[in-house]
Amino acid sequence: MSRVIHVLRAWGRSVEGEALAMKEGFSPRYDLNRTTGTITRIGHSCEGQSIRGRILVIPTSKGGVAGGWAFYDLLEKGIAPLALVFGKLNPVMVQGAILADMPITEGWTEDALALIRTGDRLRIDPAGREITVL
Amino acid sequence: MQLTAEELAMLHGEQGESLKKAIAFQVEVGRFFGAQRLVPITNAHVMGDIEVMGDAGFGFLEGFAARKAQCRVPTDSNARCMHFDDSIECLRPDPAEEGKERRVVSMLRDMRIATTDTCINYQTVYQPKLGEHVAWGDTGTVIYANSVFGARTNYEGGFSSFAAAMTGRTPAYGFHLEEVRRGSIAVELRATLRDLADWGAVGKIVGHPNQDYLAVPVFEGVRDMPLSDALKQLGASLASYGSMAMFHLVGVTPEAPTAAAAFGGREATSKIVITDDDLEAVYRSYRFAEGAANVVVFSGPQLSIFEMQDLAARFAGRKVAGGMHCFVTTNHAIYSDAERLGYLATLRSAGVNVLRGVCFYLLQRMTDIRAENGWTNLVSNSAKLVNTITAHRFNTVLRRTADCVEIACTGKLA
Repeated sequence: MSRVIHVLRAWGRSVEGEALAMKEGFSPRYDLNRTTGTITRIGHSCEGQSIRGRILVIPTSKGGVAGGWAFYDLLEKGIAPLALVFGKLNPVMVQGAILADMPITEGWTEDALALIRTGDRLRIDPAGREITVL
Repeated sequence: MQLTAEELAMLHGEQGESLKKAIAFQVEVGRFFGAQRLVPITNAHVMGDIEVMGDAGFGFLEGFAARKAQCRVPTDSNARCMHFDDSIECLRPDPAEEGKERRVVSMLRDMRIATTDTCINYQTVYQPKLGEHVAWGDTGTVIYANSVFGARTNYEGGFSSFAAAMTGRTPAYGFHLEEVRRGSIAVELRATLRDLADWGAVGKIVGHPNQDYLAVPVFEGVRDMPLSDALKQLGASLASYGSMAMFHLVGVTPEAPTAAAAFGGREATSKIVITDDDLEAVYRSYRFAEGAANVVVFSGPQLSIFEMQDLAARFAGRKVAGGMHCFVTTNHAIYSDAERLGYLATLRSAGVNVLRGVCFYLLQRMTDIRAENGWTNLVSNSAKLVNTITAHRFNTVLRRTADCVEIACTGKLA
């Protein structure tokens, strides 16, 4: 049975893909090896996981202005995530996502972290401000 | 979003392709946040280096350079990823990337950007006034501008600050709006803050459990008037751990003559008390790992002239121990002054490497540099630096300035 999560703000086209759910904040500079697309921060809940082609589900943003360029760079390197689903974000994530044409959402009415697990298939519908857990 | 006739002309391409792309991007970002309009800015601070832009950003920027895009407002550049100093062999960048980085610098200059290569523009380049709207692209600069000057800016990452520099405007959301600037977290400072690292530790205590761009801590209980370098460490740390863009220090910062004024009627969502024990707990939480080669770094943000003076005095007559490397980063302007004033000579004779135009955690090829040198621990008095560099798998340790100098000169990890 699919479940729907409503989001407060969203941008981009609809996409469907696999979730990588994080327990803490994420920054492309602090947590990610931007050459390999693997999360390398020691002790991060997704340490060792690749972000490539996945929908990142992230409670908060950390830092940092690096995301402004980094998502676009990851896209060209072929290791970009498919979409970004944030609880709370900072504007850099939106600026970076728009440059990289990467769907992005902020805020959730239901607790997305309780409903979504790594490996779940999600549909992101920014126009309808909805995330569906398939 | 309401656009003026001139903004519509830009959007319709009547002022060229570069301005069309820039304003179209700004409108998309503004719409996400529900901005009603664009607001004119007086100054921009751009971050663009090859390490973070990659070939994608490089190619994107080349398009603007080829079209001879120009900044409309005075614009400077953030710290870079390369120092162009071949004498420091343990930090060599990739030669191919070095060529691209030189080309990035040249493109920025052609766009009428003063390549000051600094993350302390607020101390050395431009100090906006109360209520002045700017578009700054480094978190430490943003929180300093909002909090200490009472100027108004959001985090403007990547292309965002370039777009603002070219159009001379930015979408009016977030910290450009009066209501967003009001306090939301009450912090009572009972601790005595003696060192720059203590201010960074306070930023971690408040920022880490409250990661929220729109959270605005209000600090009360500051006993002595803090120096610019202390507020720099507090802001950089709050921005790094908490992704925050503004704080108030009651009786110190311009929008906080009183606590009531700082909160402006907004309800505090939480209250934090910080004691001396809380500060000590921060330092105790860091553990050294076993390792024969380690680094002590004074960076993040770059050092002011007074920090350079202080470090020179602390290292005078001493030597960095075997197995240790010690680095300092600053901008070109302060590097030149520190050279003239003799601080660099003192630091060099102690074996301290001083890098200019960079910040340590921004350095290109850092993961490989760490591995090549076999570095395990990175010790710093910057709470920001020990947080930002972790993707490169350093074991990081926050220590007070005197302890950092002692560790660098004795090699004893304590």
